[in-house]
Amino acid sequence: MMELKAKGSTSIKALLVEDIEVCRLVLSTILLRLHCEVTLAMNGKEAVDLFLEGKKFDIVLFDKNMPIMTGPEAIVKIRAMGETDVKMVGVSADDHAMEAFMSVGADLFVPKPMRMEALGPIIQEVINKKKNDMV
Amino acid sequence: MVPEMGYLDEQFNQLEELQDESSPNFVEEVVALFLKDSPRLLSNIEQTIGKYPQDFYRLDSLVHQLKGSGSSIGAVRMKNECSVFKAHCNDRNLEGCRRSLQKMKREHATLKQKLESYFQLLRQVGPREHAVNSRK
Repeated sequence: MMELKAKGSTSIKALLVEDIEVCRLVLSTILLRLHCEVTLAMNGKEAVDLFLEGKKFDIVLFDKNMPIMTGPEAIVKIRAMGETDVKMVGVSADDHAMEAFMSVGADLFVPKPMRMEALGPIIQEVINKKKNDMV
Repeated sequence: MVPEMGYLDEQFNQLEELQDESSPNFVEEVVALFLKDSPRLLSNIEQTIGKYPQDFYRLDSLVHQLKGSGSSIGAVRMKNECSVFKAHCNDRNLEGCRRSLQKMKREHATLKQKLESYFQLLRQVGPREHAVNSRK
């Protein structure tokens, strides 16, 4: 598990669950550019363990196929813990990945390779929701 | 970098757009990571192909990683060949996997050479803001 912080505002806590190192570097950089505070997990089990430890996130991005535990498997377990508010985003280049994610309770699916233009509005939506919840 | 002869797609441009003052060598770092990881994956694929009984599940997992990291830098030819390899795995076609691996290795070698030349040229010409557009 690794935490990364962007300079300046870091109000959105993002968890990136991705086993491929190159993908982790690119996606975490996109999240940092969008001023997120980024935590990295290498597979679904690490992500589940973070929630079991009581860690809180505003958004979680899951790759689909990972060793030990897949993204969809992790979403099932995390939702079963009662984590219904956190935005869960499936990210994959695989065919049928959208169905695999949405059928287990993901909020969104974004195809890989992810572009900043795709993630920007999603992060903005999370920011807006967080501000509304604080009012 | 203009996608050269179809080796790199617009994802490479996305990496360049992510590069800024806070990470001035971001593109080169990502590419370096890919070039560090990919030979290991290709070697693991080759070793796994040589084993008996065939482990198509492991082959698919390895090429999935290679496809994912290649896609992240815009390596379109490698990505496409990985898809061909995965299809051969799905069909349990070992000979197809062998042929595809040879193609992947050739594509990788060419891509590595082009990327290394590109970054060497970048270091010689200096930062982009000092470049002169000769077409103006």
